[in-house]
Amino acid sequence: MLLCEQQTPRGLNQLPRKKTEMELAVNITLLLMLCATVFAVVKLQSLFAIVMLFGIYSLLSAMIFVALDAVDVAFTEAAVGAGISTVLMLATLVTTGRWKKKPERSGLLPLFVVTITGAALVWGTLDMPEYGNPANPAHHHVADRYIAESPTEIGIPNMVTSVLASYRGFDTLGEVIVVFTALVGVLSLLQVRRPRTFARKQDNRPDTHRRRPYPVLQVVALIMMPFIIVFALYVQFHGDFGPGGGFQAGVIFAVAFILYTLTYGLDDSLALTPLPALKILAAGGVIIYGGTGVVSMLLGGNFLDYNVLAANPVSGQHIGIIVIELGVGITVASVLITVFYAFVTRAERNRAGEKQVDLPNKAD
Amino acid sequence: MFATAAAALLVIMCLALVRAFRGPKIYDRILAVNMFGTKTVLLIAVYGFMTGRPEFLDLGIFYALINFVGVIAALKFIERLDEYDEQEER
Repeated sequence: MLLCEQQTPRGLNQLPRKKTEMELAVNITLLLMLCATVFAVVKLQSLFAIVMLFGIYSLLSAMIFVALDAVDVAFTEAAVGAGISTVLMLATLVTTGRWKKKPERSGLLPLFVVTITGAALVWGTLDMPEYGNPANPAHHHVADRYIAESPTEIGIPNMVTSVLASYRGFDTLGEVIVVFTALVGVLSLLQVRRPRTFARKQDNRPDTHRRRPYPVLQVVALIMMPFIIVFALYVQFHGDFGPGGGFQAGVIFAVAFILYTLTYGLDDSLALTPLPALKILAAGGVIIYGGTGVVSMLLGGNFLDYNVLAANPVSGQHIGIIVIELGVGITVASVLITVFYAFVTRAERNRAGEKQVDLPNKAD
Repeated sequence: MFATAAAALLVIMCLALVRAFRGPKIYDRILAVNMFGTKTVLLIAVYGFMTGRPEFLDLGIFYALINFVGVIAALKFIERLDEYDEQEER
């Protein structure tokens, strides 16, 4: 849902605005480019080129989401797909090398299986209701109630946020816990350590790029960081009114620190955001979210029923949504920063030539 | 007017896409992705005005940011390939 619909939430009887030919043409072109990108990804051998094309792929799909009016989804896709995963995959490439291995077996059997599965899926869609028909059951299961009631019940203009944070509060809590679990998984496999502490090989190559200064990038990064953080806060707290919310804001926050790490190095950025603090924040966000549910139980409501948080149910909803979005933002930001640090640590260790015995938790 | 601008942007994006597919050097691809990202920002802005929703600009700002950081990460990666040997990539 979008800003301009604040005053007049789209009613049930109002049909969606007709798409013009130009918008249709844009959609078709975008989809064609998406297909071309997929085929290029399959064909290419250089993993680096594939990662670059994945970036393009996310940008394209994000634009298609924009064209479909799903601005919140586009925001998330851009943040996670084009931003974070590109950076993480590049960090992985440093470890794995950048050429695809030649497959040992012939691709005929997989091709056969994929063709059969695809055909079965297409066959399955024949029974589905007509594509894009507004009368389809999928559009009327719970959506009608959300659209009719949420302006009075929750009272915030961005309906996506009301559904995500209030009606579907349990699901979102689950998502935050998944993000947190991902962090636990990464940390149990990879270590986060200051590169300074690595044992260096004796026959070291000249240390030129270890601390190569990037004066221009460093200055630009320092100038940009406050703006990025302010923008993250805007997205965080403006999520009730426009596209945005905790997930997106968390990613933007993390991007600020990733930029710092890229330009200043892991040593400096671990000094800026110590690992123990990040771990506490990652858990703290989940606790804020779950704690809101417990508080609403203590006040006599159901778990995550924000109505009881204030005298007036609508302001209770507002308070609840802001608080849990804050929890989401804190967890997402600190998890992403920590995962990125873990990847960079691994790459730096390979560079230093240290033996890879990655059992960090065994010792202590 | 916005429709013309959008059409022009789509053409430029196709050209950038071709460069990203064909390479042949790593730098061609990085430049292509960077340019593609910039055009995405512009297209979102144009599309927003075309459909009467200027608040898409929020999204545009964010894409510009992601693009900037992504290119820095890609360039850092190239620097890491000590033995990068100007060979072509396919």
